Amino acid sequence: MLTHLLNAALMTLGLALVSLAFGLVLAVLFSAAEMSRQAWLRWPAVTLTTTLRGLPEILVVFFIYFGSTHLLFLLTGEYLEFSPFWCGVTALSLLFAAYAAQTLRGALNAVPRGQRQAAQALGLPPLYTFFHIVLPQTWRHALPGLGNQWLILLKDTALVSLIGVHDLMHQAKMISASSYQPFTWYGTAALIYLAITIISQHGVRRLQARVTRYD
Amino acid sequence: MTDWLEYLPTLLQGVGVTLWITCSGLLLGLLIALVLTWILEQEVPVLTQLAEGYLLLLTGTPLLVQIFLIYYGPAQFDWLKASWAWQYLREPGFCIVLALGLNAGAYTCRLFKGALDAVPKGETLACRALGMNAWQTLNVKLRHAGRRVIPAYSNEVILVLKGSSLASTITIMDIMGLAQRLNAQTYDTLVVFALAGVIYLALNGTLTLLFRLLERRALIFQTQG
Repeated sequence: MLTHLLNAALMTLGLALVSLAFGLVLAVLFSAAEMSRQAWLRWPAVTLTTTLRGLPEILVVFFIYFGSTHLLFLLTGEYLEFSPFWCGVTALSLLFAAYAAQTLRGALNAVPRGQRQAAQALGLPPLYTFFHIVLPQTWRHALPGLGNQWLILLKDTALVSLIGVHDLMHQAKMISASSYQPFTWYGTAALIYLAITIISQHGVRRLQARVTRYD
Repeated sequence: MTDWLEYLPTLLQGVGVTLWITCSGLLLGLLIALVLTWILEQEVPVLTQLAEGYLLLLTGTPLLVQIFLIYYGPAQFDWLKASWAWQYLREPGFCIVLALGLNAGAYTCRLFKGALDAVPKGETLACRALGMNAWQTLNVKLRHAGRRVIPAYSNEVILVLKGSSLASTITIMDIMGLAQRLNAQTYDTLVVFALAGVIYLALNGTLTLLFRLLERRALIFQTQG
């Protein structure tokens, strides 16, 4: 039964990593929109991230999973269920991005102005400046915050077990129910989460040492 | 589209439960955090290691697992079911407050310890140079850290309020629980969950505002001079 649990742990890890990838892209977009000079870009982004940060995570997950089906039903009159996995990824990456956008915004502001001005003086195009000059310098300021958000994301993945994704938490629930040993199996699941957290912390620390090696 | 007016009274019934769980959880968390911070600050030999382990365990695992472990876990042990504790442990209300409190205690302790560690070393040295005893020094340190801790603590309050929505997973009818029941009865998913979201946002907004007022009072010394 432990092998089932470890397989499910891989599912949890996969879910978290996919959400991280989408979440990072969304976070860059959100923070860019929040810092934009155009009000029509800024306000929706600020409203969306503030709302996401104020809602319980479980509500966001349910809203996206059950809401997407409902929305499709209203629009087309057909009853279709979306994959729980991708609904989970959507919810988790939106939640991650809402917090990470804050971190990124702070980190982008921490890059000295002179860097951008120098790029401008050299005649580099704006997008090139952003991706090749500013963004690489952002990571070292953003990494501690993003590392924390990754740990939160990892713990939030447990919520998608409630919409039927076969992750670590879901598997622990199934084994507990069939073996009548809830304490043992939820405890084991908790220890696996803890192990992933500790390994992640270690990884983030090494990454941090790597990106700040010039300081 | 008049339906949402009918849903609102039902959902508002859950506000009391949500607030009760949140407040009890926060209170228990505060108590645990104070004890843990004292242990870590005084560096009590064996207890320090135990407190570190507690922090690692509670901040390293999902809240949902902790809730399930506390609510479903004890049923595995017959001796526990036969003991006096069982009448509490079978109550979902007791379990959610216990789980939230234990969890909040760990995060709040990290917060308190961080604020205490942020007090400049020179300040404690100055206290000692002035001939203050350990108790007086701690008093100075606490006042200094207390002001710093308020903004960070408001985040913790909101985290606990959001975490209290997990009570719905162990059959408690808080805002989230009622929303799920309404959704099952009416299939009006978007409206029901959006309304529940608005209630949570209103609660969080009010709390944020209250803390901002408190902050302004506590940090008034920064704006003067």
